[in-house]
Amino acid sequence: MQANFSVYRKEPGAGSKAGRSTYTVELPEDATVIDALLKIRDEQDPTLGFRGSCLHGYCGDCTVRINGKAGFSCAVKVAPLAAKGGEIAVEPIRNMPVIKDLISDWDTFLWDKIDVIKPWLEPNGAASLDGEELIDDKVMAKVRQAMSCFYCGLCDEGCTVLPVDFKFVGPAALTKASRFLCDPRDHATAERLRILERPKGMWDCVHCFEASEHCPREIAPTERIIEMRDMAFKHGITNEKVARHHHSFANSVRNSGWLDEGRLAIESEGLTNIKGLMKLLPTAAKAVARGKAPIPFLHHKRPGADKIARIIEKAEAKEK
Amino acid sequence: MKYAFYPGCVSRGGCPELYPAAVRVAGKLGIELEEMKDVACTGAGVLPQYITDPINARTFAKAERMGLPIMTICSTCQGVFGQANLRLQDPEYRARINREYLADEGLEYGGTVEIKHLLWVVMEDYGADHLKAMISRPLKGLKVSPFYGCFLRRPPEVITPTKETNARKSYLEKLIDIVGAELADFGGKGKCCGFPVLTANEESSLSMTAKHTSEAKSKGADCMVTPCPLCHLSLDGNQPRAEQQEGTSIGLPILHMPQFLGLALGFSPAEMYLKRHIVSTMAVESKVNMMT
Repeated sequence: MQANFSVYRKEPGAGSKAGRSTYTVELPEDATVIDALLKIRDEQDPTLGFRGSCLHGYCGDCTVRINGKAGFSCAVKVAPLAAKGGEIAVEPIRNMPVIKDLISDWDTFLWDKIDVIKPWLEPNGAASLDGEELIDDKVMAKVRQAMSCFYCGLCDEGCTVLPVDFKFVGPAALTKASRFLCDPRDHATAERLRILERPKGMWDCVHCFEASEHCPREIAPTERIIEMRDMAFKHGITNEKVARHHHSFANSVRNSGWLDEGRLAIESEGLTNIKGLMKLLPTAAKAVARGKAPIPFLHHKRPGADKIARIIEKAEAKEK
Repeated sequence: MKYAFYPGCVSRGGCPELYPAAVRVAGKLGIELEEMKDVACTGAGVLPQYITDPINARTFAKAERMGLPIMTICSTCQGVFGQANLRLQDPEYRARINREYLADEGLEYGGTVEIKHLLWVVMEDYGADHLKAMISRPLKGLKVSPFYGCFLRRPPEVITPTKETNARKSYLEKLIDIVGAELADFGGKGKCCGFPVLTANEESSLSMTAKHTSEAKSKGADCMVTPCPLCHLSLDGNQPRAEQQEGTSIGLPILHMPQFLGLALGFSPAEMYLKRHIVSTMAVESKVNMMT
């Protein structure tokens, strides 16, 4: 089988310009994209840079974008792509600085961010005298699932926030944090949550479920981030602005059964935050002029609000 | 066709144009709505699941008692409901919620309620052919970009659980075609609008608003259509602030999905409350008025 490739190229260094190289390769029918890259490097262009380790879809080292879709170059077969005709585009994954060609900078993309979330167990000292701590397998199943993450980067690659804010900690590091938060042997929950609640942490996630959709191991990063946020709600949110927003939201539903958006906008900024409130003014004035702004004192109680409040109070009492 | 209508908070709060537009459109199509008035906000992904699952189970139990499927007009309501309903399919969990939270009120959720966004209702229950026959003002020449809202795209086990429901990921494009408008497709249509991080990281949020609206504009869109009022708040309401942050001029009108359909069903821009938007819809209105 003959296949044509268009591969992203870039030399190291800030000033270097990105480009593309094209190659035509003769390959066996069952070849994968990394087989092609290896053949190009061995026979045509020894300067081509890319990563690969296990070559069996297990280590996540060779993640690239192939025809616009992220995947493992060792697991994607060439034949169906070549059958479509034209060139097969191979590019580095998104949201990650490129060092050279298909080699990306995993330090700033992932490892530095994982460092921040305290990636080790803080034992709670409950182990028995012989050093063993028996844990229900059901509880451990969730920990094991998080531990099956092999840092392929696909969740971060699919993240909606990272393209607009590279400093966001990202779903991969948050998944690592979840691994310790759901481990019954760990006793650093409050400290972990405080770290995760910092700016660029878990509250910056938009819970769009892209991370879960991209995860090849069904670790469900998005659902884990939602769980962590619920955990923070239970422990008392320490991020001031987020806390104001959540408390206003909860109070509104508790008091009236539904959301008082006018009050929420004001209370989220903070009643004494003049600068924050002023910032809302131009849009608020426009909205009022167009009959669009929700006026807090016109917000009424919904029928059944007392029953809704009772459920919320019961749920809160139960969880705290 | 009759539904337990769940309008959500925003359609009568920050986007008060949505509720009457949706009701008018449903009326014109002969879709009967019985509004659920004594039920709670879904929690919108802000309140924790230990609160929202019980209050949403209460809403589902009430719809079950009405003997009707629920119809939403908000991607976020739809998604939060769908995710809660999926968890409540676990009989043990449902029994616990019923026992601990709903029994006091004499309610019990049996796990059978179906929840559909108006977009799904018109495409699946009403049917594309039927809808096509109702179009009295084809929006010919209007270039439109679709924007779904995350919760009408993912997670797959909630949005596209079967092979037949896979088409849900392209209903907006289909609707644009049915009403006779032209598709201005763009990569960001299934991404996040930025609204969920408006509090935690306003800069990120406004960047997303600018990114999507600029991209759609660069594809030649006259307007964007969304089935989610929270996306509308972000893409329309925050567009001027996003322009300011990014130092750019965008000016892309954002239409709610019922408004867009309503125009093609013959309603005037005024009857669809287009004047209530933050970004001027004048250019769209002029085009539409020339079609009559």
